[in-house]
Amino acid sequence: MKGTKKWSKFLMIGMLALSVTACSKDTANSGKSTSAYPEKPLVVVAPSGAGGGWDLTARSLTKILNKTNLVAQTMTVENKPGGGGTVFMAEYATQEKANDYKLFVNSPPILINHLKAEGNTPYGYKDTTPLAQLTKDYGAIAVKADSKYKTLKDVINQLKKNPKSITVAGGSAPGSMDHLVSILPAYKSGIDPKSIKYVAYDGGGEAVASLLGDNVDVIGTDVSSLGEYVKAGKIKILAVESPERLGGDYKDVPTLKEQGIDAEFIIWRGVFGPKEMSKDAKKFWDDTLKKLSEKEEWKAELKANNWEPEYKDSEEFTKFLKDQETMIQKMLKSLGMEKK
Amino acid sequence: MDTVHYLLEGFGTALLPINILFAFIGVLIGTAVGVLPGIGPMSGVALLIPVTASMTGGMDPAAAATSSIILLAGVYYGAMYGGSTTSILLNTPGESSSVVTTLDGYQLARQGRAGSALAIAAIGSFCAGIVSLIGLALLAKPLSEVALKFGPAEYFSLMLLGLAAVSGLAGNSMTKAGIMTIFGLLLSTIGLDNVSGVARFTYNIPALYGGLEFLTVAVGLFALGEVFKTILHKESHDGNLAKVGKILPSKQELKESSGPIARGSLLGFFVGVLPGAGATLASFFSYIMEKKISKTPEKFGKGTIAGVAAPESANNAASGGAMIPLLTLGIPGSGTTAILMGALIMYNIQPGPLLFQDHPGVAWGLIASMFIGNVMLLILNMPLVKVFAKIIETPPKYLIPIIIAISVFGVYAVQVNTFDLILLIICGLAGYYLASNDFPLAPLVLGLVLGPMIENNMRRALTASNGDFMVFLEKPISLAFIVIAVLWIVIPFVLKLKGKKVLINEEA
Repeated sequence: MKGTKKWSKFLMIGMLALSVTACSKDTANSGKSTSAYPEKPLVVVAPSGAGGGWDLTARSLTKILNKTNLVAQTMTVENKPGGGGTVFMAEYATQEKANDYKLFVNSPPILINHLKAEGNTPYGYKDTTPLAQLTKDYGAIAVKADSKYKTLKDVINQLKKNPKSITVAGGSAPGSMDHLVSILPAYKSGIDPKSIKYVAYDGGGEAVASLLGDNVDVIGTDVSSLGEYVKAGKIKILAVESPERLGGDYKDVPTLKEQGIDAEFIIWRGVFGPKEMSKDAKKFWDDTLKKLSEKEEWKAELKANNWEPEYKDSEEFTKFLKDQETMIQKMLKSLGMEKK
Repeated sequence: MDTVHYLLEGFGTALLPINILFAFIGVLIGTAVGVLPGIGPMSGVALLIPVTASMTGGMDPAAAATSSIILLAGVYYGAMYGGSTTSILLNTPGESSSVVTTLDGYQLARQGRAGSALAIAAIGSFCAGIVSLIGLALLAKPLSEVALKFGPAEYFSLMLLGLAAVSGLAGNSMTKAGIMTIFGLLLSTIGLDNVSGVARFTYNIPALYGGLEFLTVAVGLFALGEVFKTILHKESHDGNLAKVGKILPSKQELKESSGPIARGSLLGFFVGVLPGAGATLASFFSYIMEKKISKTPEKFGKGTIAGVAAPESANNAASGGAMIPLLTLGIPGSGTTAILMGALIMYNIQPGPLLFQDHPGVAWGLIASMFIGNVMLLILNMPLVKVFAKIIETPPKYLIPIIIAISVFGVYAVQVNTFDLILLIICGLAGYYLASNDFPLAPLVLGLVLGPMIENNMRRALTASNGDFMVFLEKPISLAFIVIAVLWIVIPFVLKLKGKKVLINEEA
């Protein structure tokens, strides 16, 4: 049939494109497994589209676990975009709560999305088994290099005098991470966070652009994304929200604590399992992820991605999450944005 | 001059056999990615990152970075070439930036001019690619400064101009176009509001938090709508299958297209430079502009070659323009450039103000490879036109299942969500119903794209100005856009009131 041949050519092109998808899923050969768990292939979910921070973390994690033979079973990454991770959480916490073979990666939004009133998910970290923290980053407050505000004090004083005179920007909606990062110093200095003018952009990059273009005065974002602009002399970081000073390009940036504000905001990324994870599986991941954190390959992978390593085991991680949840809850409450 | 010197060195890098090969693989996959709806340039590039990483495993870091980014960028602009194919042949936009190409492209295909339409799309894309690359090589620095000055007020006024220009997408009735625009704007409010963080019209359904996915709606309205129409109207039995017609465009068609291609290229390039505006807007704007300045605007929407040439040039030029904020500022203007940026960072190459100083080899090698890639795409696409154009000869009973399959797989591949499949079918039915009652679909889609941008930028501007609306008039660029927008709407009415015969088809 004439037509058949014609669109078979068309299908060939289609297959070519589909093979693009297939390629990404080729994973290391699965060898023999040493313990009972894991007995079959594993899935790590990135609750976002391809290319974001969660996705890259999940891909690095599975790649190195297979490469170093810490996990002999095939591991694949699945993307579950939608609602800033809430679509996935709803499904995971209800239908997969005992599935030892499905893990996922997340970061502070797992706490925030559960606590805030809008775009809320009824499921939080307590509906999962936190397995380990893998990386860390910190919030930072930055201005343009030639800004009239030379220190964080200048900004805070001006905000106290007239909160309407300063426009603050971040890369995500009010009540989400960048917003909390931006207002943390002001909030801890006794300024009503509701009075601060916060402008939300569709991503950290656009927020930086608005700062460089003099459309806003101050931005709050993660410190790691600002390094290049600091080096180029375009942006000045007024404070980093870390427990102590960072090294390298940021060694001259004071922490909040040095400036008399007792607060920090750690932007972590971690791995989670299902709430009713079996003991064997939990033990397996405790051991495996600890070993992973010590592997040279893992350190090299983190460095390649500009991520700071920070390992916390399941117990420590869970405790940390509890503390951070309390802090976020307080901040959302003062903003009037918490889930009642 | 420094630029020429660097560019020649860049060609030295790009012409290495390995980089030619990488550019070829990139544009080939890019073409395929562009053809299929669903696998867009964004997911295509993201999925290829691990593949290129292992392909370049043994090379030294700088060379590996150059080769990888050459391949990945090839996918990006290659997709802009491929995106037109299904728009023209099947009324199924392969990319959001090709939605507007369906308007005239599909009509041309039905008239048996698919070959010309595809060829013009390829030629237009090529010219636009070259124009935007010259712009990229010469104007990167000054333009990036201008783009930064574009604040929320300027964006708002630009988008307002886009809305005012919606008459350019109207069919027979301006009122119906207005209704559809507002319907699109209404749909765009679904989801978490990014300015206040409030959830609107989500009814606590997490799938709605992110809003309606643009491509799902567009594929549903255009492709499935057409499918339903064909099935319900039993067009499969009328037997008059469209003929492919000749493959190469005639001299007359080339002449008709040269203006739109030139204007589309320039407009697309400048819109592409603005972070956040992107190829989709560029294609809409250039189509509307062509219709406005055309001597025969009534032909638009019924199959005119300019209606294909302009948007296809514009979306390709925009992808070149979008490299400017990415490379010089480290600010990705779209999802795809954000992923390209991630890929560069993986190789320890940070795009931004220091890129051209610290890694001139990577930056200029990439620019030079894009010249080569564009030539390859032209050579690759012209023979493919013949192959693709034959699709139109396929009897509907085979074609319809294929369109449905491509639409469903495509949407599911991106969203991984049954909700979007349901949305797809609803949009298909809506598309059929609306089109058969002569409601134009393009304004709805434009409203959906512009809605969040208009709203967010207006509220950002007002937040910064403490609620003072004068901010839109005080900034000169913003004021200029608003004045043009007002004139755009007012002038035809004034002319009409004066009893002049107005060429444009408002209230026809």
